[in-house]
Amino acid sequence: MAPTTEPILEVSGLVKHYPLTRGVLFKKQIGAVKAVDGVDFTLHRGETLGIVGESGCGKSTVAKLLCSLERPTAGSIRFKGEDITGLSGRALKAVRRNIQMVFQDPYTSLNPRMTVGDIVGEPYDIHPEAAPKGERRRRVQELLDVVGLDPDYVNRYPHQFSGGQRQRIGIARGLALRPEVIVADEPVSALDVSVQAQVINLLDRLQSEFDLSYVFIAHDLSIVRHISDRVGVMYLGRIVEIGRDAEIYDHPTHPYTQALLSAVPVPDPEARAQRERIILTGDVPSPTAIPSGCRFRTRCWKAQRRCAQEVPALAVPEAFRGTAGPAAHASACHFAQEAAPVPPAPPGERRLNGNGPG
Amino acid sequence: MLLDVRDLHVEFRTRDGVAHAVNGVNFAVDAGETLAVLGESGSGKSVTAQAVMGILDVPPGRITAGRILFRGQDLLKLREQERRRVRGAGIAMIFQDALSALNPVLSVGDQLGEMFVVHRGMSRKDARARAVDLMDRVRIPAAAQRVRDYPHQFSGGMRQRIMIAMALSLEPALIIADEPTTALDVTVQAQVMELLAELQREYRMGLILITHDLGVVADVADRIAVMYAGKIVESAPVRDLYKAPAHPYTRGLLDSVPRLDRKGQELYAIKGLPPNLMRVPPGCSFHPRCPMAQDVCRTDEPPLYPVSDGRGSACHFWRECLHGPDH
Repeated sequence: MAPTTEPILEVSGLVKHYPLTRGVLFKKQIGAVKAVDGVDFTLHRGETLGIVGESGCGKSTVAKLLCSLERPTAGSIRFKGEDITGLSGRALKAVRRNIQMVFQDPYTSLNPRMTVGDIVGEPYDIHPEAAPKGERRRRVQELLDVVGLDPDYVNRYPHQFSGGQRQRIGIARGLALRPEVIVADEPVSALDVSVQAQVINLLDRLQSEFDLSYVFIAHDLSIVRHISDRVGVMYLGRIVEIGRDAEIYDHPTHPYTQALLSAVPVPDPEARAQRERIILTGDVPSPTAIPSGCRFRTRCWKAQRRCAQEVPALAVPEAFRGTAGPAAHASACHFAQEAAPVPPAPPGERRLNGNGPG
Repeated sequence: MLLDVRDLHVEFRTRDGVAHAVNGVNFAVDAGETLAVLGESGSGKSVTAQAVMGILDVPPGRITAGRILFRGQDLLKLREQERRRVRGAGIAMIFQDALSALNPVLSVGDQLGEMFVVHRGMSRKDARARAVDLMDRVRIPAAAQRVRDYPHQFSGGMRQRIMIAMALSLEPALIIADEPTTALDVTVQAQVMELLAELQREYRMGLILITHDLGVVADVADRIAVMYAGKIVESAPVRDLYKAPAHPYTRGLLDSVPRLDRKGQELYAIKGLPPNLMRVPPGCSFHPRCPMAQDVCRTDEPPLYPVSDGRGSACHFWRECLHGPDH
């Protein structure tokens, strides 16, 4: 299904702070881990939104908030126009049915004492209205078939499967309730290279088969680009740049995105000499002490006084406002400038264009 | 030749049977050269490294055949005491997970200094000074103060620098880095790889880089050995291999990397799963997953055919693969 312009999820001003306390009896709050600190984005029906960022940037917390596994400190998440952040009880349960999650680690996210049939069918215990009792087993077998597993495996246990197969089980469980949105948090990063491609293809196929909208969270930039229609780049709890995939990858205007893209090793030894690497100094600051102004300024080579005083808004930068070019997308930088981090190779010169062996 | 590994075989005896982790591996590394050993989990790349380093868990592991010649001397013939002298001073290793490789209850200064106390018989005070010196060299800011800190007080990238400092401490001729940046974020990975490459040039060390990341290999390696099911299936200068792989497995790996001009299309995926090392398929171990497999592949194990100078492929049909349909 092609992406539409109909919003299915609208996130605005999303904040999640975890309080840091001291003392046992008289707990005193001494600070907060600002895991998510003001995130806005919209997911359209049928679309895949990729979210990239390094560890600790808050991307997994965003995933948990979207699935109502955590309650936000502030902000709203609208699912088909309805704010779901304040829901509880039956209303919350109904919404959760529509937004399902696929987890990163297929080794710890499946209960080792449950059979595959029980794991994939468990959503039906929680939402009995989704499938009548007599039909569940058949539904589970159908789901296994859909994700490319032998339906006869229903009575096996997770340890009898490889990592890629386990991830398929996790995906089947996510599909059981026929959700409209799937939030996938690093769904392939625990898998071997040759198996990653199989799972990515599966997710791609399921999207058109079941009319799914994806929020795809990962740190592997090339995989995110392959699967996403739009991409948001997160740094220290905020989206610093967001746009269509070509806008972000070929015309990034935020220095962090540029550094991130230039740091990714490219599987092409010929490009080794031509590439201009931006090597960032230092580490990501702690989310308990976020720098004033622009949160990236402590590692930014462009930082000036203004960056310490003024928080840059996530909007189309002034320089590109009114232009129709690919650089005219939202970027939270006072000094946004276009740069191509990886020189585009002349087409046809690189080998990696095969259709696979044979 | 600095290191020359010949026909190395390693097996693990387990309750369920014998796992053949390394089945006849040959490779060599020269001073100043970077050899990448690429493979997926279970391909035997880490076990090979452990065998060379002499830190294999024995039992259940066992080296059943082969020679590991370091500067002409067979390490497998040395007594443990002599082997110990080579470890650290001759060959050093950098591990993937710095947090679990470092001792949490000793300060990093003590751990770095220990190398000099044990191997060089230095006093604690001198050793501490050398530790600060090393931390400076791997560019840890404020080394003189931080030498007293414990591993958990450092970030992931800084911990990996300490691992590198530790490996460098006795100025070894060869460093084995087992997935040194896998646990790190890309921006930090770039810092660490650059540091490693720079130090390697400075000391003219040999470097064996064990990884599963095709991008990292393309960035730093001179030569590459691709492992599958305990064997080297292709070995080549890096540029040649990326330009035109001579083994269908290598080719499948390169093709499964997402690429710009193939966006929206299906990714190429190698079908099936890597084999169980207790039941490696007969003939070519890749044949059940190989799109080019013929009858001969199911029965005859391919030797490493010479493809060109310094290049070999363990595929009966390496010519067809090299000059595949898209060339």
